[in-house]
Amino acid sequence: MRDETDNGNPRSTARIFGHPIHPMLIPFPVAFFIGAFVTDIIYTQTAYLMWQYFSIWLITAGLIMGGLAAVFGFIDYFGNRRIRALRPATPHMLLNLLAMILSLVNAFVHSRDGWQAVVPTGIILSGIVVLILLVSAWLGGSMVYRHGAAVVE
Amino acid sequence: MTRALSLLALVLALAACSDPKFDESSQLGPDPKLPDPKAYLLPPINVAPGEGWKNGATPKIAPGLRIQALATGLHHPRNVYVLPNGDILAVQAKSPPSEPVKRPKDLIFGIVKSKATKFPGSPDAESRITLIRDANGDGKPELQVTLLDHLNSPFGVVWIDGFLYVANTDAIVRYPFTPGQTSITAPGQVLTELPGGPIDHHWTKSLTVSPDGQRLYATVGSNSNIVENGFEAEKNRAAVWEIDRATGRSRVFAGGLRNPNSPNFYPGTNTLWVVVNERDELGPHLVPDYLTSVKEGGFYGWPYSYYGQHLDPRVKPQRPDLVARAIKPDYALGSHVAALGLTFYTGTSLPAHYRGGAFIGEHGSWDRYTPSGYKVVFVPFANGRPSGKAEEVVGGFLNMDNGKSLGRPVGVAIDKTGALLIADDVGNTIWRVTAAAPAT
Repeated sequence: MRDETDNGNPRSTARIFGHPIHPMLIPFPVAFFIGAFVTDIIYTQTAYLMWQYFSIWLITAGLIMGGLAAVFGFIDYFGNRRIRALRPATPHMLLNLLAMILSLVNAFVHSRDGWQAVVPTGIILSGIVVLILLVSAWLGGSMVYRHGAAVVE
Repeated sequence: MTRALSLLALVLALAACSDPKFDESSQLGPDPKLPDPKAYLLPPINVAPGEGWKNGATPKIAPGLRIQALATGLHHPRNVYVLPNGDILAVQAKSPPSEPVKRPKDLIFGIVKSKATKFPGSPDAESRITLIRDANGDGKPELQVTLLDHLNSPFGVVWIDGFLYVANTDAIVRYPFTPGQTSITAPGQVLTELPGGPIDHHWTKSLTVSPDGQRLYATVGSNSNIVENGFEAEKNRAAVWEIDRATGRSRVFAGGLRNPNSPNFYPGTNTLWVVVNERDELGPHLVPDYLTSVKEGGFYGWPYSYYGQHLDPRVKPQRPDLVARAIKPDYALGSHVAALGLTFYTGTSLPAHYRGGAFIGEHGSWDRYTPSGYKVVFVPFANGRPSGKAEEVVGGFLNMDNGKSLGRPVGVAIDKTGALLIADDVGNTIWRVTAAAPAT
């Protein structure tokens, strides 16, 4: 299989009708994990349990959609050495992996009962994950907007 | 990916580890040792799947006693009650429909715990009361007949003054009834509604009557482990209710009792005693379940604190005003033993050692690795107060080889011959404990 597009950019392996799948999925975990941090903040201000339960569902949804995004991200990463060779690719992958692992731990923390589901460990983990995602999403963006990963024209 | 796998391995390794060493006997009695509360990533869970009694196996018994099955093949018997004429009522109950799922955790816990309530091939739970008659007291009933069927998750039952009172999970219902009857055709009449669903976490409502026969006392357990369903769902729960028998009017008699069960007046006194299941997920050795006398208007801590003023770090907002007057319970029974049954020994046919003391049915733990409970214990009393260490009377409910439960004890009662009766909801049996030799 060719590892570049017609105009010479690195090509995505996991595609549907010519569009790469990984970038279609990645907004979901990013939005879910940021949402969980927001609902954690509101819970600490209100002690109203609904917000805490929003957080755990958002983290769970983030893990599921993030897991799916990771599958297609790995296919692209390991499926094409030119993708792998892009400077942001490896840090992007490692940071996302770290965010997923921390979020998995965070899901267990958020499954505690009451205040200790969020304060202090839960909200700290939620905040760290948001910071990591800011960096790793920026790196992912660089791969497309600067290095033209999977860009056809 | 390897990191994810190694994390998974870590989680599994945690699941396989054991509880920290602890002197369990330090949590029996009036001054239990209370370690610091813990917060877990994965709380210790060890649910004993049901297995049932095979080939005539029976629980193990303390020296000087003998145990036999009085009735078998019941449908999840939770409680046992003896009528004035000696007829025995076995209260069987289905759990109410499961509560709405709030968190992913609720889904997982629901699946894990459901394994502990029955075993493959066991009879399905039914919400019914079976009358058992053993007129000559030889332990071989002449009659076993369904007295009431299609109830709503009943637990407590008491007879007084021409009426049989049944505590369903949502109401106390009374039936005109004269001991000796073996069927009830009259429809029940609701005396007092009790907090039921749609959220009905601790659903067993148990019942007793005051010594003067005028008032009923019903237990209403909390609607959560530690207020996960919000404070509004806990209104009038975690309490013992007092109900006027004539009018059905009710009030909270005492509160802060997380999951109280089997209220009983100490014989010859006006002091009400109850066994209480304390909170989970603070560690394998927190918080000990207890036996306590219940003071009118008393507050016993839940959810804000335990054993007096030990604050629960999970509860926000706190209530310092309530914590300040939280009463320390009388007698700790050990952590997570799940004390559900209580009866005072008023008979004379068991060895003299047992007279005036309390028998307590401990359903058994799930929230720790090393099982606790799964037995019936005896707490000696002197001058109407506990006077010594709790001791095992009936055990062997757990198969230590495979970690499965042969049975699980719940409600206890004393029959007209002075024998101890035990409802076993996994073994679907009513056990009868008598003296090995006639009492001297």
